[in-house]
Amino acid sequence: MSGRACPSLRPTKHAAGLLFVLATMWYAGASQNNGAAYLLLFALSAVALVSLPHTLLNLTDIRLTAGSVKPVFAGQEGSLPVEISNGSQRARHACTLTLPETGVAPELVPEIAPGKSARVTLQFSAVARGEYEIRELRLASSYPLGFFRARKWVATRQRYLVYPKPTGELPLPSGQRRSQGSFENLPGEGEEFAGVRAYVPGESQRHIDWKAVARGQPMMTKQFAAETDQVLQLDFATIPFPAAEQRLSQLALWIVEAEQGRHLYGLRLPNLKISPSSGEVHYHRCLQALARYHWNGGE
Amino acid sequence: MAANNRIIPRGPLRSLALALLLLVPTMAGNLAAWVTLLFLVSLLAKFVMERRGVRLRQVWLKALMAAAGFTAVVLSYGSWRGIEPGVSIVVILASLKILEAHTARDFHILILVSWVLCLCGFFMSQDLAVAICVFISFLLLLTGLIQFHRGPVGTMWPALGTASKLALQSLPLVAIMFLLFPRLSGGFGFRFLNRGANASGFSDHLSPGSVAAIVDSPDTAFRVEFPGGKIPSPAGLYWRGIVLWEGNGLEWTAGSSLAQARPNSRAGGEAILQRITVEPHGERWLFALDSPLAAPAGATLMRGRYLRSTTPISSTRRYEVSSSALRELELSPRERSLSLQPPAHVSPAVRDLVQSWSAQNNEPQAVVKRALEFFRKEGFVYSASPGAYGSGALDELLFHRKIGFCEHYAASFATLMRVAGIPSRVVMGYLGGQWNQFGKYFLVRQSDAHAWCEVWLPGRGWERVDPTSVIAPDRINVGFGASAQRRAASAGNQGIAGEPGWIGARVSTELWQNIRLGWDTVNFAWDTHVMSFDAEAQQAFLTELPIADANPGSNVIWLLGLAAGLLGGYGLWISLKTRRRTDAARAIYERFCRKAARLGAERALWEGPGDFGKRAALLIPRHAQSIGQITNSYIALRYSREPSESLLKVLGRDVQSFSSRNSGTD
Repeated sequence: MSGRACPSLRPTKHAAGLLFVLATMWYAGASQNNGAAYLLLFALSAVALVSLPHTLLNLTDIRLTAGSVKPVFAGQEGSLPVEISNGSQRARHACTLTLPETGVAPELVPEIAPGKSARVTLQFSAVARGEYEIRELRLASSYPLGFFRARKWVATRQRYLVYPKPTGELPLPSGQRRSQGSFENLPGEGEEFAGVRAYVPGESQRHIDWKAVARGQPMMTKQFAAETDQVLQLDFATIPFPAAEQRLSQLALWIVEAEQGRHLYGLRLPNLKISPSSGEVHYHRCLQALARYHWNGGE
Repeated sequence: MAANNRIIPRGPLRSLALALLLLVPTMAGNLAAWVTLLFLVSLLAKFVMERRGVRLRQVWLKALMAAAGFTAVVLSYGSWRGIEPGVSIVVILASLKILEAHTARDFHILILVSWVLCLCGFFMSQDLAVAICVFISFLLLLTGLIQFHRGPVGTMWPALGTASKLALQSLPLVAIMFLLFPRLSGGFGFRFLNRGANASGFSDHLSPGSVAAIVDSPDTAFRVEFPGGKIPSPAGLYWRGIVLWEGNGLEWTAGSSLAQARPNSRAGGEAILQRITVEPHGERWLFALDSPLAAPAGATLMRGRYLRSTTPISSTRRYEVSSSALRELELSPRERSLSLQPPAHVSPAVRDLVQSWSAQNNEPQAVVKRALEFFRKEGFVYSASPGAYGSGALDELLFHRKIGFCEHYAASFATLMRVAGIPSRVVMGYLGGQWNQFGKYFLVRQSDAHAWCEVWLPGRGWERVDPTSVIAPDRINVGFGASAQRRAASAGNQGIAGEPGWIGARVSTELWQNIRLGWDTVNFAWDTHVMSFDAEAQQAFLTELPIADANPGSNVIWLLGLAAGLLGGYGLWISLKTRRRTDAARAIYERFCRKAARLGAERALWEGPGDFGKRAALLIPRHAQSIGQITNSYIALRYSREPSESLLKVLGRDVQSFSSRNSGTD
């Protein structure tokens, strides 16, 4: 993801001040016929002009590598880790990185040594649930003199999910007691070892069967049976709120509570059904369903 | 820089302070002392305030301080117009800004204000030393700005390096702009006129002590080059400044009847061409070797054969003039009556003295001779501090105190001649000067100011008579500075003005002298080539260039073209210099990979060259051999301790032919 687009260059508000000072110098030099005043005028304007290619080049040969954005709940801060690497032979100074679409405050990287890279985490606020995409990053710098600002847009495709804000007053619905016989069929995260399944990247590494990995087997996640035998059915339709968003928020709260309580829980949305389970993967799957849910008017 | 917008980091502030301190010498001595003091105090206060987080926020307080400063300026200068009060106001406002500044934006403004202060420095003094101070300050301001933009890691030295690099890279651009940027001549309403007016020893009024008052001044009056190649001997060089026609005892004035000279003279002897560079003195006097033949452009040759500029000289002025010894053939009636106008009151003692001279021989020449005898033999003393003369000064000088400076003797001599019925006038100017062997010019200082007398002798015209020459011959031969030095050397170990006492040895005195001369040469070059490079000089320069036809429009086009070319060149050069250096072997191998990919063997990201080579050989069996060769060469280049250059060529050839064979077979 290296920027190929040509950087834009424009004067900053300090350039107006500079212009005023230059005009003063010109007037003084011309009216007094003072050669030294002219010399100062030319020195200042030449330095400002020479700073122009320096400003532009301060952004060249910089590679941006964006990491993935972890899903967040609405109202929280999302963060995008970006690695800025300097592929040139000259240090890069005072670059600011921002997400132009979110209006996030620019993050300053004071210096990147030649051949080195720096890591920056861009914080942005996730306002509403949904699926979003960061399309571009903006790299800017007004180094060295601050009279001109070079900006460069770097395309990226970082999708991220914002889960509904977990709020609501309703208590967690009481679950149905599960028959003892079907216990083995519902593996989840509990105390008792219940078998292994393939590791899903991004999952917590806490339960990886490292002994098996050491034996040369692929990575597997150990699964444990849930602590309780309660099965909670979290159903969109049963929530007595009129607004869909409110219902989704309530569902999100329930999911969080159920996961914390290590219950087995299933989710039922008008167009989707997730069978009861527990654990991190299941938890995120449920929340993702909520984030992506589209209300199409009426149940 | 939103994050650290609330404070000014210490590093940049320190550079700024250093830059401002360098500007103090430009103010000290030129501005009222309290203005400079206020500036220094606020600079100091800023550091104390920043450490404690104290801010000057109250608008009313700032307004009050600004108003107080303005009032104080008006009170101490008597006016707010003119250069000193103007610069004082700028300095006061800058001091207030220093106290007030506390955000990133303020820092930028401070830097810009400091650049304006740099500009003011050039109006306070035209000296090269000041210019050097100002340009170092300029560089430090750049450094501060760069430090500031480097953020929290901004230490001084790397930023200074970057600033110097930036300044060096901008030098050609500065030169181009300096030579080609269209200069304006005139057309502006305001000009600072009073600059340096009091530095000159001149006025159109001569009174006892008026020349003596400035002989301690080491300031340069003017410098003289000799473009004709004919250099007069340094002894007895009289630089004519102004002729005083109206005299009364020891008081002489130019008179109200300024008129142009009439061309009624013939040159005697060879003309000497001089190029004279006068330091600005705010008046209209121009100088030339005795006596100028014709007036240069912008000046008039006045009655009495002296030059007078048509406009006041507010900036360095250069002109060329030829001089030679002149014989004026006749005295016009107007001149005769002017130069015979006797003093209003002549004491009987003076009248007796004059009559005693003409009693024996009435010939003017004999009278002049007798008068000089009188000054030589009657024990007159030559002194730069003869004390004040009151009313009846002429008698007091001639018969009682017998002590005076050149103006006393010139004035009294001219008055005595008029009493004797011989037309006379007083000439003010400079005598002598210092020959600078490095720059090949005469340096004439204010301390060389001199006054002498001229008398009209029938058949010979105006003849110079310098009574000082009979009283203090040293003054004529070695100059006042040197004769004073000689006297001082005998009195103690104090050198001439400006010379440190500790350089006592003769050798180091000589060295010191040479350093001073060399410095003056550089100073002069700065003055002539930079300070006074104006519209005229530019025109003269451009007509020598083949590029422009002296048309300002085409100059601007040239300027823009050259500037754009330079900037583009810089950009290209820097980008080439800093670009990622991919090594040749890798570049060639990557080309091979691209070609292999086209044939169906794509190298995976994690695949080493060895593994890929094996796989590619299997995938493209018909090229297996060359793939093997290329892979081996590349591995050897990559991993052997001393890869040979020839191997690189082999690899290049193999990859090249890999393509051609491929295109041949496909």
